[in-house]
Amino acid sequence: MEIINDLLLFLPATIVAIGGLTVMMLDGYKARSRTIYTTTMVFLGIALGVASWDLLMQAPELIFSDMAGAGGTAAFGTFIVVFGTFFTVILTHDYLIGVKHNFPQVYPLLMFCTFGMIVLATANDLVTVFVGLETMSVCLYALAGIIRDKRLGVESALKYFVMGAFSTGFFLYGITLLYGATGSTSLPEIGAYTDGGLIYWGGVSLLLVAFMFKVSAVPFHMWTPDVYTGSPTTITAYMSTAGKTASFVALVLILDRAMPFIATELTATFSIIALLTMILGNAVAMVQDNVKRMLAYSSIAHVGYLFVGLAAGSVAGYSAVLFYLLAYTFMNVGAFGVVAYYEKNHDVHFNNVESYAGLGYQRPIMGVLLSIFLFSLAGIPISAGFNAKYLVFSAGIEAGLVSLVVVGVLASAASAYYYLRVMVYLYFREGKESVSLIEPKKVYSFSLVFLALLTLYFGVVPGGVTEMIYGYFSDSMLTATAP
Amino acid sequence: MTILAALLLIFSAAFFGPAAAKYLKKSSGWVLALVPFTVFAYLLSFIPVISGGDVVKESWVWVSYLGVNMSFYLDGFSLMFGLIVSGIGTFIMIYGGGYLAADSNLGRFYFSILLFMGAMMGVVLADNIVALFIFWELTSISSYLLIGYKYEKEDSRKSALQALLVTGSGGLALLAGLIILSMITGTMEISEMFGQSGLVAEHPWYLGALILILIGAFTKSAQFPFHFWLPGAMAAPTPVSAYLHSATMVKAGVYLLARLNPVLSGTLEWTYIVTGFGAVTMLVAAWLAIAHTDLKKVLAYTTVMALGTLTMLIGMGHEYAVKAVAVFILSHSLYKGALFMVAGTVDHEAGTRDIRFISGLRKTMPMTAAFGCIAALSMAGVAPLLGFIGKELVYEAALSSVSFPMVLIGMAVLANIAVVASSGIVAIRPFFGEYKEYNNKHVHEAPLSMWIGPGVLSVLSILFGILPFLIDTAIISKAAGAIAGTPDLVVSLKLWHGINAPLILSIITLLSGIGLYLVWNKVRESGAVQAYDRIMGQGPVKGYEGWLNGTLGLAAAQTKFFQNGYLRYYMLCIVAFFVVLVGYTMLVKTDMIIVADFSDIYFYEWTLAGVIVIAAFAAVFAGSGLVAIAALGVVGYSIALLYILFSAPDLAITQVLVETLTVILVALVLIHLPQSKVKVSMGSKVRDGILAGSLGLIVTLIMLAVLNTEFDPFMTDYFAENSYVVAYGRNIVNVILVDFRALDTFGEIVVIGVAGIGVYALIKLGKKVITKKEGTTA
Repeated sequence: MEIINDLLLFLPATIVAIGGLTVMMLDGYKARSRTIYTTTMVFLGIALGVASWDLLMQAPELIFSDMAGAGGTAAFGTFIVVFGTFFTVILTHDYLIGVKHNFPQVYPLLMFCTFGMIVLATANDLVTVFVGLETMSVCLYALAGIIRDKRLGVESALKYFVMGAFSTGFFLYGITLLYGATGSTSLPEIGAYTDGGLIYWGGVSLLLVAFMFKVSAVPFHMWTPDVYTGSPTTITAYMSTAGKTASFVALVLILDRAMPFIATELTATFSIIALLTMILGNAVAMVQDNVKRMLAYSSIAHVGYLFVGLAAGSVAGYSAVLFYLLAYTFMNVGAFGVVAYYEKNHDVHFNNVESYAGLGYQRPIMGVLLSIFLFSLAGIPISAGFNAKYLVFSAGIEAGLVSLVVVGVLASAASAYYYLRVMVYLYFREGKESVSLIEPKKVYSFSLVFLALLTLYFGVVPGGVTEMIYGYFSDSMLTATAP
Repeated sequence: MTILAALLLIFSAAFFGPAAAKYLKKSSGWVLALVPFTVFAYLLSFIPVISGGDVVKESWVWVSYLGVNMSFYLDGFSLMFGLIVSGIGTFIMIYGGGYLAADSNLGRFYFSILLFMGAMMGVVLADNIVALFIFWELTSISSYLLIGYKYEKEDSRKSALQALLVTGSGGLALLAGLIILSMITGTMEISEMFGQSGLVAEHPWYLGALILILIGAFTKSAQFPFHFWLPGAMAAPTPVSAYLHSATMVKAGVYLLARLNPVLSGTLEWTYIVTGFGAVTMLVAAWLAIAHTDLKKVLAYTTVMALGTLTMLIGMGHEYAVKAVAVFILSHSLYKGALFMVAGTVDHEAGTRDIRFISGLRKTMPMTAAFGCIAALSMAGVAPLLGFIGKELVYEAALSSVSFPMVLIGMAVLANIAVVASSGIVAIRPFFGEYKEYNNKHVHEAPLSMWIGPGVLSVLSILFGILPFLIDTAIISKAAGAIAGTPDLVVSLKLWHGINAPLILSIITLLSGIGLYLVWNKVRESGAVQAYDRIMGQGPVKGYEGWLNGTLGLAAAQTKFFQNGYLRYYMLCIVAFFVVLVGYTMLVKTDMIIVADFSDIYFYEWTLAGVIVIAAFAAVFAGSGLVAIAALGVVGYSIALLYILFSAPDLAITQVLVETLTVILVALVLIHLPQSKVKVSMGSKVRDGILAGSLGLIVTLIMLAVLNTEFDPFMTDYFAENSYVVAYGRNIVNVILVDFRALDTFGEIVVIGVAGIGVYALIKLGKKVITKKEGTTA
């Protein structure tokens, strides 16, 4: 049967969804938190295995009556999402125990959220995009406030929810208008429509505004720092990597499939957004003393670099964006992982950069790991972050956006300031002797080491994966062709 | 052995540095010196090939489809640089081992300096621009670690960051410039760009690429107005200064300019910018040197002067200039490396390097004094040392410059007078005159490890000066040829040229320099020199700090303004930007012709519309929240009535239910909320009004546009035709729900089921939490 075949091709999402339900049931029947965690990991592990297999073996294909895709970009997006979730759960478990708030509800929420992200990243239809986006968002609102007796967390959850609901309105309205103009919600069919007109452009702009909100591009970024600071640290890592990846993959798919003929017309808009986002994100990150908040702002800055790739509007630009997301997931989950480790040993105020003084010499492995991640985030060579930036910027130059790229390069030079500042505190300041770090769990440090190795590996040999991504666009049967 | 293997050798040695420091102790420097020495010997083996007119290329595929390769290019010029880097590196390892023998962080020094050495070798040997850039940034990073070596000192942390920010940002500009250059030429290999200078010069992106590349080179090589970071970087331990800040890293910018000379030069922009900045740097820095009494500061400024001279020569670009570049790079590396090491030795043994407090050390440390004097003589340009030949060539080049030869030669002579005086300051003051101890520290000769380096380098200065044929065909000819882009250039160096203009100028320079040295104390303390130092030396530092603080201040102000934490404010911003973006798109992309036809609207419809508008206004101007909610309820019920009028009873029922629920819920919430005490000013009310009005306007416009499009009856007709025929149902709505969209309905049921499980889990959880709480309190 076709539906069975489709479900098989959609296996990672199916496994994650069933896993979420199972874990929720376990929680309902008062299972031990250890059991819940283990079950979650088993399901995620299987899903990650399947996702990896899909990534390497599955050819691009459309499933569920062309509502979603499998293989190609879909497999790529799924892989990053599941990968990010896998490590998030490892880190979250440890973190929540550390801060003495080990709510078992976090696991089903994470699973449902991941399901939403997979749907979003594999969508081939605006309705599927919407379903994925909302499944993801609703879970994220709840996750942001999961530590209920922390006022900052609750406040951030409320802010996130109100503003998220607002942008959802934009999104729905955008879909409606686009359907009205083109008579379809399917991405390739919208892409075949070339007439323009008020309704069409109204729909396009509403849709893009909603996406800019979801990926926190300036000027729709205001929620990001508050939410990222207020949420549990590992959840922040999750939002900024898996969540952002899913949204960006969907955005790239929409641009590539549904709007191929207006890519050049969108260049100006995206360039302005990129410009604002890079400048503002970096400028503000510079003055943050709270490391978590600094990473939140820096994630805005990274969205700016990603928009350079989108502004290029070319195959090179889109594939650069996808590579960037992969690299960003490795390094950002890693960086947040170390920050969470430092934090859970103490209290929330420990996120201040001053309290990092001299920590690099205690538990040297953690200091080295954080340095690797920060180096990569700053885009310093032989790290995945450098290659990601290089690809995005060279795509920009190829598309003739030289001045935008120059601003981007200067902005990322400025970013070195605040990333290195953390390292200056780690190594070049005398620490207080009162601070002593507990030994990290083996699985915790192994995960981080693994992420660091990946960061370095894709810094030295990015060739294979970039070629693979490039292939998604150049010979993809899903790409709309000119009528 | 391949070039890549040579690089990997150095990099991997870096990781053994800490172990070597720990287990080999005193001999660690000598052992580690074998690494650069091996590379030096390996490079020497290329001399026959290179001087025979060949070049060596090596390439490993890295990221194939982007054209990024790890490729190397060895010609006369990169060979000369490679020899300098590995040769001086050998002595620096030995010297550093002695200098920092008592330091507990010696391992860290070895690691960083070997890392730097590998990166620097990479810079001078790389052919691919991406590889070049990566090595380039690695030198910045490793130099950051080295300058910040004494991290417990605020001063050295600050200088390290300053150097990193200046050179690191310059490096990124360089990357952008190089990428543009590769877009123009269609290749990422520098060696393949050589033939394309005509194409490059005429390209519209030429100037942009040029400026970006120059920013990279000028920041690295401390050209005016970026010259301030180099004296600041003197906070580094002396072995670092001797290596990075005289012979190698700071010359990377000059190296790059010379390397790209065949590609970028030949235009007026190149000539004027490069020559101009070089000449100004040369003159400004030379005179800043005599305003200081710190040996290393004096040396640092003379280094900046030398870098300026080189830049100026590259800008001129004619045959004499190119020859002068090749010779001057070599002679400067030899004497400046030696002098820095001597200054470090003095500091190490005497406890200070401020020349006001030390003199007459020649008796207690004769070797150091002798080598210091030889190197200083070379710096002053006294025959028969290599420095003399270098300076002669510089004068000759300036004299034969195409534009402004008189100005340039004037500047060169003035700058060199100060350099002669500086030579006296660094070599005569500490060693001659009356014996003076600082803080009663007993001074004695440094160990072998600390004078062998200066010894060899200064002996080479003499050797190459007296017997220039040792290097002219073997190294200098091919180096100069590579810079000029004419590989068959022949250079023959001579000590004695007969009596000519350069010689006369040299004599004038020397005499005036000696004169300046004799009155140096008075000159240094004079107001003019002090003011000059404040403006030219401290000014750019202030500028840099102002820029840094300004950026931070701006960022802080901006954060305060935009990120103030108020949800209502965020909403305001988002709505405003939404209005601008969507409104703009619609205005630009569409023609906005909307035909409104009001003819078939009945009076009761008008009445309802009126009620809605009035209720909306009432909601906005209501004094209390409850009134506002009630008014909004009126809006909702009126809309329900409209649905009834347009015969959509199901919609109307939904609307009424939702509206009732909303009003009750919001009212319940409002009762429990505290009364807001914030008084909203008239101005912000007007602002909010305008914003809300424009949002409403945009939505209305879209609605009107939708109404204007032709109604497509496809779906309606489909359901009307098929609901009885296919699904055997007369109620179309029912048929749609249970038949045509059966899967949707199924999905809804699933959702309710999942939600049920969730609710169950939550109820259970509630119990758990309660029992837990009781447990803890009891």
